[in-house]
Amino acid sequence: MYLYSDMNNPMRNEAIQLSKVVEISPTTRHEGHSKLVLKVNDSGIVERGDWLSITPVRGVEKLAIGKTMEQVPKIASRVCGICPIAHTLAAIESMEASIKCEVPKDAHLLRVILQCANRLHSIALHNVLILPDLYIPGTDTKINPFTKEEPVRTVAKRIQRIREIGQTIGEIAGGEAIHPSNPRVGGMYRNVTEHAMWKMYDLAKEGLVLAHEQMEFMIAVIRNFQKRDWTEIGGQQIPIPKTLGYHNQGYMATDPIYGSSSLDEHPTWNPARWIETRPWDWYMGQVEINYEDPTYPVGGTTKVGTKAWPQIEACTGVPTYDGQPVEVGPRARLTMFKNYDEKGTIGQHIARQMEYPDCLYSIIKCLDILNPNGKVLADNIPQGDGSFGWAANEAPRGTDVHLARVKDGRVQWFEMLVPTTWNFPTASRALVGAPWQLAEMVIRGYDPCVSCATHMIVVDEDNRIVAQKLMQ
Amino acid sequence: MGMELGKYKTCVSARSTDKEIVAKAQDGGIVTQLFAFALEQGIIDGAIVTGLGDRPWKPRPFIATTREELLTSRGTKYNVSPNVAWIKEATRSFGLDKVGIVGTPCQMQAVRKVQLYPIGMRDVPDKIALAVGIFCMENFLYKSIQQLVEDHAGQKMQSVKKMTIGKGKFSVYTERGNVVALPLKITEKYEQAGCHVCLDYVANLSDVSTGSVGSPDGWSTVFVRTKKGDHIWSKAIAAGCFETKPIEEVKPGLELVTKLAHEKIHKNEIYLNKRASYGVGKGLRNPYI
Amino acid sequence: MATEKSATIPSDVKMEKKAEVSKKEEKSVSNKIKAGHVHLSGCTGCLVALADNYQGLFKLLDDYVDWVYDLTLADVRHIPEMDVALVEGSVCIQDHESVEDIKTTRNKSKIVVAVGGCACYGNITRFARGGQHNQPQHESYVPIGDLIDVDVYIPGCAPTPQQIRNVCVMAYLLLMGTEDQKKLAANYLKPLMNLAKRGTTACFCDLMTEVINQGLCMGCGTCAAACPVRAITHEWGKPQGQRDLCIKCGACYSQCPRSWYSFDVMNEFEGIMEIIDGAMK
Ligand SMILES: Cc1cc2nc3c(=O)[nH]c(=O)nc-3n(C[C@H](O)[C@H](O)[C@H](O)COP(=O)(O)OP(=O)(O)OC[C@H]3O[C@@H](n4cnc5c(N)ncnc54)[C@H](O)[C@@H]3O)c2cc1C
Ligand code: SF4
Ligand code: SF4
Ligand code: SF4
Ligand code: SF4
Repeated sequence: MYLYSDMNNPMRNEAIQLSKVVEISPTTRHEGHSKLVLKVNDSGIVERGDWLSITPVRGVEKLAIGKTMEQVPKIASRVCGICPIAHTLAAIESMEASIKCEVPKDAHLLRVILQCANRLHSIALHNVLILPDLYIPGTDTKINPFTKEEPVRTVAKRIQRIREIGQTIGEIAGGEAIHPSNPRVGGMYRNVTEHAMWKMYDLAKEGLVLAHEQMEFMIAVIRNFQKRDWTEIGGQQIPIPKTLGYHNQGYMATDPIYGSSSLDEHPTWNPARWIETRPWDWYMGQVEINYEDPTYPVGGTTKVGTKAWPQIEACTGVPTYDGQPVEVGPRARLTMFKNYDEKGTIGQHIARQMEYPDCLYSIIKCLDILNPNGKVLADNIPQGDGSFGWAANEAPRGTDVHLARVKDGRVQWFEMLVPTTWNFPTASRALVGAPWQLAEMVIRGYDPCVSCATHMIVVDEDNRIVAQKLMQ
Repeated sequence: MGMELGKYKTCVSARSTDKEIVAKAQDGGIVTQLFAFALEQGIIDGAIVTGLGDRPWKPRPFIATTREELLTSRGTKYNVSPNVAWIKEATRSFGLDKVGIVGTPCQMQAVRKVQLYPIGMRDVPDKIALAVGIFCMENFLYKSIQQLVEDHAGQKMQSVKKMTIGKGKFSVYTERGNVVALPLKITEKYEQAGCHVCLDYVANLSDVSTGSVGSPDGWSTVFVRTKKGDHIWSKAIAAGCFETKPIEEVKPGLELVTKLAHEKIHKNEIYLNKRASYGVGKGLRNPYI
Repeated sequence: MATEKSATIPSDVKMEKKAEVSKKEEKSVSNKIKAGHVHLSGCTGCLVALADNYQGLFKLLDDYVDWVYDLTLADVRHIPEMDVALVEGSVCIQDHESVEDIKTTRNKSKIVVAVGGCACYGNITRFARGGQHNQPQHESYVPIGDLIDVDVYIPGCAPTPQQIRNVCVMAYLLLMGTEDQKKLAANYLKPLMNLAKRGTTACFCDLMTEVINQGLCMGCGTCAAACPVRAITHEWGKPQGQRDLCIKCGACYSQCPRSWYSFDVMNEFEGIMEIIDGAMK
């Protein structure tokens, strides 16, 4: 880790000049804007990788201050259109945690249904994003998910049907498929009718069959890739290390499906263990790009002579848990709750597919106990006294923690520790040891949604961690 | 036939054959009968209709999914009922795939704009299975109707059994048999502002539209307009839901409908023109492009 | 180098077809329009909405649109020439790259479509005021129409799959269709082009100032249904907007039948719906 004073340290600048520096900007096939600044050795192996968001910071945590606790979650939802459900629910539940409001059981069930429906669609969408990295088994042909040709079209249609099932269930339970309108502080605006309940049930039943098929297909394609020695990139055969995407960081997950909050009897996340460092401390200082590859698809890497300065370009903070970056997401959930132990990019991809069926089993389980005549809004919604509350939601991409203080119905303080922000430093470490051409493939394993990964730092003026103060 | 009646395939005078429906219907019970039939046939799985709200004659739009619920919506409430407000929720927490909706001509325009320009209406356009329009000369706000009934007509809202507008009169019928008819000169002042720019009388954009004008008492004039409308109407006729008479054979017939439509549209076109120079060198907005 | 053959071949992968699967992006077919998705400060919800045409997405890409640019769904890194650019998100004027991106987009595209509330009106980024790490200077976000001429607006948050689809089909007919189709498409797109000329701000307030205050509201209820945050209810027949909830997406105003209404188009609704349905079959 470099400190501020290191900037003028001649030793450090020299070290930078010794390796080749290559930059891939912008990265593709994920959500939002990010780039990779990679220091590579003579054989093209990454020695240090910085993966950073370059999405402008809309500053939702700051603009939230002074707004109503009803409006802030609606705004928070709109930091990301791929896991808007997670942001809506985590934001609402952090408000509820602050004002100490328990929601009725049926409201909670609708939220879980919405959560699972979103995860289902999200996994399927991610399939589309990674398929172009993978091969049709038994061939040297990469998969273009948009081709009309079989067998790909059949798979692509199945993916879209799975997404349609997820989005439609989400629309019924949550009011809208993308930014849900039904959840609100205190519960939900409306319960669903019995007719709507059966419709969701039918969809879930259909989805379960398709999800199993799709999971098996994806696992076969991923395993096939795992057996390969090389992959073609920009006309070259790039060797695939068996340890692609390995890192030694830990995992963090709060629940296999849903999440946790400070209202829980036994919360599964602890704000005292969370420390945030600045990108300044974490990322590389200024470097000059001194290696470029015009054949890298599509359009080549950044031109030699361009300057990069990850420290100040990074648009996110760097949250750590017990002082270390952690991985969040499907593999973290499987590792924490199901003793899953496969590492690397392959392990991550497999874990994500393994989450397919449970999305639907959980929806069905909730529908079995949902009472369409039950109330879905708390009788009493306190307006808040400024107490600290947090809620963690297991977004498709991992733990999404929102923290809030609400007083008299208005937000005094709001923080979003979103999944991709947790993953940025971890994924950066996972790049080490890979041929630089595979770096994008490694970060795609995290299914990054970069737009949301923008939040403020919480070190106060005296450099004390706000979280510690919160606990006092 | 001028353009004021819009496009239509057939026009008849009709009445529901269902005694229960007709008993409390406004006219020939066309709307309720058509929805009841469509519901029974699975053509729709619910309909957005206007029931009664928390005050006498205050409308409350709701989604009816059974015949019993439909029956509670019979009769015209002469004040604004925001039926289209339910059009998206019907496809969400109600889980409907085939939505029926009844409304005034302006509401039919709203429904078609929802379908052609679904700006805030995700997944709604293809779920509108039957849009039934009702003729409309003008509408009122609740307080306007209350003033007309309680002040001008001297009746209590609670005791009113039915209101009608026809034959140049606004008529109030009470449970105890009182009938008060006010000339439309009086009601004019209370008309809803937005109605003065309205250029549609017979719900030109509905699948099927209906109203009392043109047909004898207890009967309705019916325009069947779209393929969808034609399909459903023909099935309903085949199923014996309606008795019909050719429109040419009833009095006062289409001539009156055309005349009233023309008058309404003409009057409002003049008003729209006036709006353009409402101030000094400045006007009011014209929504039509 | 030899490739190890997979032991587990999924049942639905038919091997004999392998040769036909193209390796590269399919070459542009001349009778398709070139379109792409430009992502600025948006949330990608607009793009998800496009993808939520489900099977229809394939129809669009197979027959009408050559998808030439899209950081999320494709592998192209730099903005190419396009017939139709679908732009999502507003522009942070303190971010040099975003400003360059929108200018490049304008210069390289025939038709620029602002997709979604953020691109049209700023939406939630209207509330931005900077001060957040790690780029506290990012404080000013403007709708793309404040920096470039925009041709077509698709308001709403998220915009709907169906509205995006309709604009794609109409843009195709406008550029590739017969004379009659061109005329139809021009008529259809006109109100959305007028919206683009009308301005770059939106709010529930538009219903107050442009509809209710103008004596045009007739209480149909459409605005309440259109609002994606349930900020609108009807009280005594007329819209009540909870302005503390409104996110400034512009859906209510543009969905309202009394904001704009084209008889040319609406009177032909049945035929136009059939054309769109037919195109998607
Ligand atoms: C404001 C207004 C003005 C009208 N003006 C004329 C006119 O000038 N000439 C004419 O011939 N007919 C007019 N009508 C239509 C007429 O009054 C009857 O509604 C129509 O003939 C249907 O009768 P029915 O027996 O078929 O319907 P019924 O089976 O009795 O069902 C009536 C239906 O109308 C719906 N409804 C009731 N009130 C409203 C409302 N306020 N807004 C929307 N839907 C409502 C109910 O949901 C119900 O489904 C008007 C209706 C309204 C609401
Ligand atoms: S007169 Fe026109 S605007 Fe008024 S309620 Fe009737 S149809 Fe609607
Ligand atoms: S308009 Fe809505 S969906 Fe589109 S980018 Fe903006 S916030 Fe996201
Ligand atoms: S959509 Fe327009 S006309 Fe209809 S109620 Fe709302 S503001 Fe009034
Ligand atoms: S009131 Fe609702 S629909 Fe209208 S601009 Fe605001 S958020 Fe959008």
